[in-house]
Amino acid sequence: MSSKNHVQDNSVAERRLRPIYEWLDSGNNKKSLQECEKVLKKTPNLLCAKALKALTLLRIGKESESIMVLDSLTEEKPTDEATLQAMTLCCRELQQVERICKIYETAVKLDPTNEELHTHLFMSYVRICDFKSQQKAAMSLYKFKPKNPYYCWAVMSIVLQASRGEGKSDPKKKQLLLSLAERMMDKLIVENKMDAEQQVQLYIMILEQQEKYKEILQVLDGSLGAKLSCTDISQAKIPYLKMLQKWNDVNLISKKILAKSVDKWNIWKDYINSVIEIISDNKNINSTDNHDLGDSDIETVDDSPEKAHEFICRLVENGADNGFLLRGPYLARFELCLKLSEKNMDTFELLGDVTELFVEYFRKFGHKPCCVTDLRSYLKLLNEEKKADLSTRLLKDVGISATNIPKSEQQMQRHICALQLSRLCGSHRRLPDFHLKALVTAFSLHYQHGYQSYGNLLLSTDLGPSDPYGLLAVHVLYDLARVQNSPEPIVVALVLLECLLKNSPSNFHAKLLAVRLYHTVGGGIGAQNMYNSLEIKHLQLDSLGYIHCSRLPTTGLIGLATTFYDATLKFFASNYKDSSDHLTSSYKFGSFAKLDEFMDFREKLNNSIHYATVTVDRIMLTFMCCLNMEALMYSVEVVPKWDLLRNNNDLNVYVSWDPERINTPPEESLEIKNLFQQDIDFLKLRTQVVWCITAALDLIKSTDGVRENHIQRLGKLIEDWKIFEDIIREKKHEPINQDRITLPLPSRLHSFLDCAYQDILGNLLRFLIAIVQEDSVQRKELAIKIKTDLSKLTENVECIMKGTSDFLQLRTTMEYVVNNVEIICISCIICNICHDLVKPIQSKKGKKNPVESKGRDTVIDVIDCLKTTIIKFVTSLHLWQAVSTRTDIEVELECLNLNNNGNSVFQNILSSHVQAVNELQSVLNTKLKLINVNS
Amino acid sequence: MTTLRPFTCDDMYKFNNVNLDPLTETYGLSFYMQYLAHWPEYFQVAESPSGEIMGYIMGKAEGIAENWHGHVTALTVSPDYRRLGLAASLMNFLEDISEKKRCYFVDLFVRVSNKVAINMYTNLGYIVYRTVLEYYSGDPDEDAYDMRKACSRDVKQESVIPLTHPVRPEEVE
Repeated sequence: MSSKNHVQDNSVAERRLRPIYEWLDSGNNKKSLQECEKVLKKTPNLLCAKALKALTLLRIGKESESIMVLDSLTEEKPTDEATLQAMTLCCRELQQVERICKIYETAVKLDPTNEELHTHLFMSYVRICDFKSQQKAAMSLYKFKPKNPYYCWAVMSIVLQASRGEGKSDPKKKQLLLSLAERMMDKLIVENKMDAEQQVQLYIMILEQQEKYKEILQVLDGSLGAKLSCTDISQAKIPYLKMLQKWNDVNLISKKILAKSVDKWNIWKDYINSVIEIISDNKNINSTDNHDLGDSDIETVDDSPEKAHEFICRLVENGADNGFLLRGPYLARFELCLKLSEKNMDTFELLGDVTELFVEYFRKFGHKPCCVTDLRSYLKLLNEEKKADLSTRLLKDVGISATNIPKSEQQMQRHICALQLSRLCGSHRRLPDFHLKALVTAFSLHYQHGYQSYGNLLLSTDLGPSDPYGLLAVHVLYDLARVQNSPEPIVVALVLLECLLKNSPSNFHAKLLAVRLYHTVGGGIGAQNMYNSLEIKHLQLDSLGYIHCSRLPTTGLIGLATTFYDATLKFFASNYKDSSDHLTSSYKFGSFAKLDEFMDFREKLNNSIHYATVTVDRIMLTFMCCLNMEALMYSVEVVPKWDLLRNNNDLNVYVSWDPERINTPPEESLEIKNLFQQDIDFLKLRTQVVWCITAALDLIKSTDGVRENHIQRLGKLIEDWKIFEDIIREKKHEPINQDRITLPLPSRLHSFLDCAYQDILGNLLRFLIAIVQEDSVQRKELAIKIKTDLSKLTENVECIMKGTSDFLQLRTTMEYVVNNVEIICISCIICNICHDLVKPIQSKKGKKNPVESKGRDTVIDVIDCLKTTIIKFVTSLHLWQAVSTRTDIEVELECLNLNNNGNSVFQNILSSHVQAVNELQSVLNTKLKLINVNS
Repeated sequence: MTTLRPFTCDDMYKFNNVNLDPLTETYGLSFYMQYLAHWPEYFQVAESPSGEIMGYIMGKAEGIAENWHGHVTALTVSPDYRRLGLAASLMNFLEDISEKKRCYFVDLFVRVSNKVAINMYTNLGYIVYRTVLEYYSGDPDEDAYDMRKACSRDVKQESVIPLTHPVRPEEVE
């Protein structure tokens, strides 16, 4: 009877609650709240309705009310699924995930045999990475529901304690935990209970962490290995054989795999590596020369370069697969050559002249775009002279000179490959400008010819077959701009790219280059248009944030920057929250091997330097744009984990044919490492500014009793900033070299250090302290300094604006101007705080406070000076609007047959400038109003 | 020439040269993560000798009884690595896994306008099983072909007898 009643209750409750869920789902929180109240009136004890009310209140923005409802609900100790789920959701949105554990701990105590509740409790620990509690929860779950997955949850929780918990810094503890995990799995095996692929994977993972590679091989070869149905066993064995240095086995296994599929590159590398290792082993034991020249049998180990070469040649002869000529064995010769030469072994005898290898490969695969990246890393086999020689040979081989054009699409692609390889070989370096110009003309004409001949019938989603000529022309135009130190070639390049994109609107390489070039010449709006058409979203906001979002703060396009910051911050915040769900799914599906990866990824995302920088930039932007002091009264905490910050930029997205690319991918290059360091230093400096301003704001919010503490804190922060800035100046960071179009623009650090942040803002903050401490000497001295620095600032800005005569300077000047506007805006905020402190207060007895009015004159004095500064600044901005940087490039464009006078590109750049200047003026005017309130 | 290996989270930081192509969609993180957590063996990436991502395949196994099948969720190859047979090797891989999982067939959806892809799948042995009306939202919505290839478990090839009538998206589970 009672259970029937219960069922009925449930269905009634469900019917009542349904509308609430529906309103919540559709985002209509007001209606949802009304519905909650209605239901709670009828059934005041319906816990789920309370939980939903808490959730609704939170979504309306009534956080404290929501917490109150949630608190009282927690005391009622609910155990039903629906209520707990709603509470979970609420806690997650409150960012109080720890609370979920508590809620389920209580529920499990009341209903200790409920499998579902136990599962939720376990998952709640997963969300907060409490591995120990995870283990406990999983074990107690397993005790009354002895299912393998639960057992494995417990084991995995132990493994995580070893790798990420206590064991992380304590090798002994780690070993103990891992051997416990291993024994637990052994028990499963002994009892013959191990039945799923994931369980075997977990077992292997545990062995791997203990470096028990021999045991892993036994598992793979034994009956457990048979359970790994989705794994290729022989391939899976290779990494462990390598660890054990069983080169003969690696050799034999890889030979067998390659004989069946010649295109597995990782296996080729393993094979060649094993040959080299065997050779050096043999040398070490000085064995007699027992290898007959070049006789390779699939059953025997290849222990000499000759045998390896023989093996490769045999697979070459076996020929094509799938109807495609396979590159594997051809490229394997390069790999063999590289490895032999790394060991200082002669290759000539075996492989002949290396240049011939390149020429042969090019003849076979030059009509494929991938030929260039295939050969790129092997160009290090050639010295400079040989590279130059190869470059000439390839171009000659294609048969295209200054006087003829490709006769087929294939010949054109071969020409393109030859040109790209030639650039990689350094053939465009150190050329005089007339030579570079000739290259540009040739490439541009080839592009147009190729488009007309082979590009007409393309879909709008295709890349044009001759587009690479256009891209090469842009790279060379950039070289030219560097050689001439002039912006004109960049504008020409942008015109070329705009034309190319009309023909193939999907060419993302062209768009990426255009974004980079527009930013180089201060054309933020042009960059924005291009960026928009790339449809960058989700994780790309992080990996490609550097191409556009990171540059926006320097453009003065404040509105645009705000939009980008908000979208970026939203992405990071919501994904960090969601990422715990993937951890729980991993347990659900038993993909234990992914857990480590997911956790690393989560950290990578959360510690992105882009994320941290945008967070700080967003706060600075609030300082810059706020209309009143009330807008600043909420404070955001920024405490980046400096040591963990990551550079997540995908620099490889810019295809490079610069010779430097042969040896290192961009992210490993020294330039980029230095740039990252500069960006970190810059971020630290700006964070210190934010901390100081936040501390100053806290000061006026504080009451007299604790004011002294705030003063001390602020004083400390100002000094920390000063010391840190001095250290950074000592480092004498050099801006990243701009010779390569594929590398980013310089760090914002340099312009920051050129501006008087510390002189003006630092001193204003000290001035603020002097006022509170009633130190009239300090106060007066600082006021004089500040006033001098403010007038210097206007002079400098005016002078630099006047000196801006071309587009290259337009960018750097704009960055400088934006920084100075920022300084002024923040100065206004600090002055407002100062003024607040010296405001004559009507005391209860109606007397004015005589002490505080003393400082008032100095404050008014500084504010007046600030006003003058702003008015002057706005005037010079007004004049700067009409900057004249346009030059005549019609001749250049005519040379390239572009039928375009470059108007739209010029217009794009100039309209960015005008818009930025307008926005900056209006920001300054707003601040003028803000401090005018004080007079 | 390819290194085929399981897709990892980090690859999402490196797949821009593939995903910026207009025919490849970049999904929210959760979408990829869900596949990585649930069907890690079905999510493979093809890496070039120089370490670049040439393409990837994303799939899953689902369905009950004779409907237990492998599904291709996404298959993409970077423009620089096309016409090398890469898509075919990725498809082979997925079909192999589906065989090992004892699936009855493998299926996939493709825009009816995507002639290149339809051709390729046909060459790989896929047939148009049915048309799904207005499956792709856009302006205007576009129909999809549901293409199938039988696995060895479907001895009688019952899963690949084409339907005579088109279906609505809601009829496709």
